[in-house]
Amino acid sequence: MALTGRAGLLAALAAIVVLLAPEPGLVVLAAALVLAALVTADLLLAGGVRGLRFHRDGDNRVRLGGSLVIGLVVDNPGPRRLRGVLRDAWQPSAGAAPRRQALDVPPGERRRLVTTLTPVRRGDREAVAVTVRSVGPLGLAARQRTFEAPWTVRVLPPFLSRRHLPARLARLREMDGRHPALVRGQGTEFDSLREYVVGDDVRSIDWRASARRSDVVVRTWRPERDRRVLIVLDTGRTSAGRIGTAPLGFGPDVSAPGSDAGRGPKAGPGPGSGPGSGPGSGASGWPRLDWSMDAALLLAALAARAGDRVDFLAYDRAVRAQVSGASRTELLSSMVNAMAPIEAELVEADAAGMAAAVLSRARRRCLVVLLTDLNTAAMEEGLLPVLPQLSARHLVLAAAVADPRVAEMAAGRGSAEAVYDAAAAERLRGERSEVTATLRRQGVEVVDALPEDFAPALADAYLALKAAGRL
Amino acid sequence: MTATTTRTTTGTTTGSATRAGTRRRGRGTAWGTLVVLLVLGAAALPALLAPDQPTGRLLDPADTSLIGSSALSRLLEAHGVEVVRVETPGAAVAAAGPQTLLLITEASLLGSHDAAVRLAEAPGDRLIAGHASFLDVLAPGLNRESVERVRSRPPRCALREAVRAGDAFTGGISFSSPPGSTGCYPAGDGHTLVRYTEDGHTVTALGDASFLTNMWLADDGNAALALNLAGARPKLVWLAQGDDPAEAEDGATGADGEPARSLGDLIPGGVTWAVFQLVVAVAVTALWRARRLGPVVTERLPVVVRASETVEGRGLLYRSRRARDRAALALRAAAADRLAPLLGVPRTATAEEVADAAAARTGQDPGPVRALLCGPEPADDAALVALAADLDTLERQVRDS
Repeated sequence: MALTGRAGLLAALAAIVVLLAPEPGLVVLAAALVLAALVTADLLLAGGVRGLRFHRDGDNRVRLGGSLVIGLVVDNPGPRRLRGVLRDAWQPSAGAAPRRQALDVPPGERRRLVTTLTPVRRGDREAVAVTVRSVGPLGLAARQRTFEAPWTVRVLPPFLSRRHLPARLARLREMDGRHPALVRGQGTEFDSLREYVVGDDVRSIDWRASARRSDVVVRTWRPERDRRVLIVLDTGRTSAGRIGTAPLGFGPDVSAPGSDAGRGPKAGPGPGSGPGSGPGSGASGWPRLDWSMDAALLLAALAARAGDRVDFLAYDRAVRAQVSGASRTELLSSMVNAMAPIEAELVEADAAGMAAAVLSRARRRCLVVLLTDLNTAAMEEGLLPVLPQLSARHLVLAAAVADPRVAEMAAGRGSAEAVYDAAAAERLRGERSEVTATLRRQGVEVVDALPEDFAPALADAYLALKAAGRL
Repeated sequence: MTATTTRTTTGTTTGSATRAGTRRRGRGTAWGTLVVLLVLGAAALPALLAPDQPTGRLLDPADTSLIGSSALSRLLEAHGVEVVRVETPGAAVAAAGPQTLLLITEASLLGSHDAAVRLAEAPGDRLIAGHASFLDVLAPGLNRESVERVRSRPPRCALREAVRAGDAFTGGISFSSPPGSTGCYPAGDGHTLVRYTEDGHTVTALGDASFLTNMWLADDGNAALALNLAGARPKLVWLAQGDDPAEAEDGATGADGEPARSLGDLIPGGVTWAVFQLVVAVAVTALWRARRLGPVVTERLPVVVRASETVEGRGLLYRSRRARDRAALALRAAAADRLAPLLGVPRTATAEEVADAAAARTGQDPGPVRALLCGPEPADDAALVALAADLDTLERQVRDS
């Protein structure tokens, strides 16, 4: 049960009567009895909530930054009309609106209410409870009950770097020889023979085939196809650090936990959390993990279009998620689906275990893309010792997001504080470049780029490898 | 076409929104005005309802209003009499001595009979002015004859104080003189000023005290009579009315002999019950607000930590330890790393080689450049800042050359 504001108002008005009455004590008693009687009557006459039934409908996937609509059908099988409010409670970062809605269901009928979700964080968001408060005809008291109406919405990574995809696909087509520029196609794999047209490279004329026919025939080339790419996402502690500015205005998890009144209209980007604090100045950024995911998605989309097979593995001390053997059409959707619930684990990544997992999954030679951090300590103790095992059988590409805040600090001059910070930043950059040099000496390709350039830089590195025929 | 439609729609929306905003603002102003009026009314109500009575404390030596006696007190002090203002009979007894005069007026709160007895037994002389309570204890043997109008009267007696003062505003209670007493200012069948000696104390009783007030002190011989009577001893203990009647010793009864009424007694009985009812209302409201619409929803949030925290931490460590050596080393190494490819020196080259190459490229003396790139650590923070700036300059020079 629950009281309403009207009951409080009635009790307050009774105080005036008490003030003027000749026998105030009796009036107080009478007022209490009358109020209790009215509340009881209201409770008895309110529509029953016990037998309510709920059905949900709607979508269960949304990209971060988008909204989706969840329907909730309330079925009132009772004999009395149900009037009151309903709260469809979701986890705070699901961004459910409105927080409470009016409800009016005649006996034996059903009504559909709509909740709009605008999630502010990647991952699985759940509907926690549905609470119905059925107010009596006098509006003094209400019956209340909480139900479970489970529903889960998976908030997928936004894949913001997909805007870089068309340009990279154009480069790929160029390499593929399908582009009008009729140069000797990049790549090393023989594709087909066709008739010579003016402008073709004379070096590509196949004399043997030309001799068989009365025409001059050229060979065409194309990049290798059906190579394997294994994207390994490091979900250890180093991937939790936040970098740069969250591109969607809100960070992946700017949310007011559990606050009752604070959940106003939070739809759309830019409710003042992201842009206010400068780049890299704090918790408004995205975790390294999210930047890595973004780059991984662009790389996967590109590689799938280039005809390569892409597998995905997320690992810290155990396999967190994996996608293997997905068809080209399903690759992206299964990858975002696998990525969505991944969060950075606050444990040191187990590089040896990761290498073992990679070796057991990739029997043939493949391109292993390690999305991690070029952290000296973590690298020296973890990855560097096991890297020879990997690079002996596979081509390894290590990719890490650089922190713009470090560059900003390194440029600091003027005061002693700024110069000390600059020295610290320079020291980190020195260590990082040492790690990069060590990796390159071991035959590992390295991509180290600022957050906004990271995904295109990784895609370009892949294209360069492909053009050079090193896959 | 679409654009036009959209713009029209937007325009309409904006217009109605503005109108709604104006209406809302207007309503807000109205509410504000109403609240301000209510507050002002509530503030003014007590002033309007309060009875029209003069403020100030009657016959109080510290009060400067018309009914106070600050003027007399000042005059007495100017004549060398020490005026001690007390508020309770206990304090008065404590202050009294053989060479003191105790002034008890109709404004003095004696409280109980016991207090009056203790006052009467206190050493020193007594001056009782007006309708003081427990007159029979303080001035035994005096009888009230009648109540006379207060007006200017001649002394008509041999009392030196009265004769010197001449006419004065007297009246009030007219006393019958006991044997051995001196009566002055006759009115009706008795006298309005009676002096007699009782038990070693000289007791002077006045029928009315209004000539002691600031209002009447300047008229006739009032001031002279008051000074003569009250200034008879070097120390005057003035029993005045306290700020809080409840503070008066044994303050169970008031000046009129009636039970003293506390603030609680003055509140009508209904108000207490109404307040109780309001408490009930608050409780009901609290129940209304306290009932949540469903449970609090919790969520496991990921850790929020900046990736740059380690670097910033290291910077703070350098700063707190003043680690100029390490800072200079890092800055120099970074500058050398950046200079090496610009100068065409291999990455493995030592700092000295880089310095020599940089000096040769920019045409500077090799000495200072060497000192800049591989010299001793800076002596203080200013030198470190200068070192960073010099490294930047060198880098720029090499880049531009």
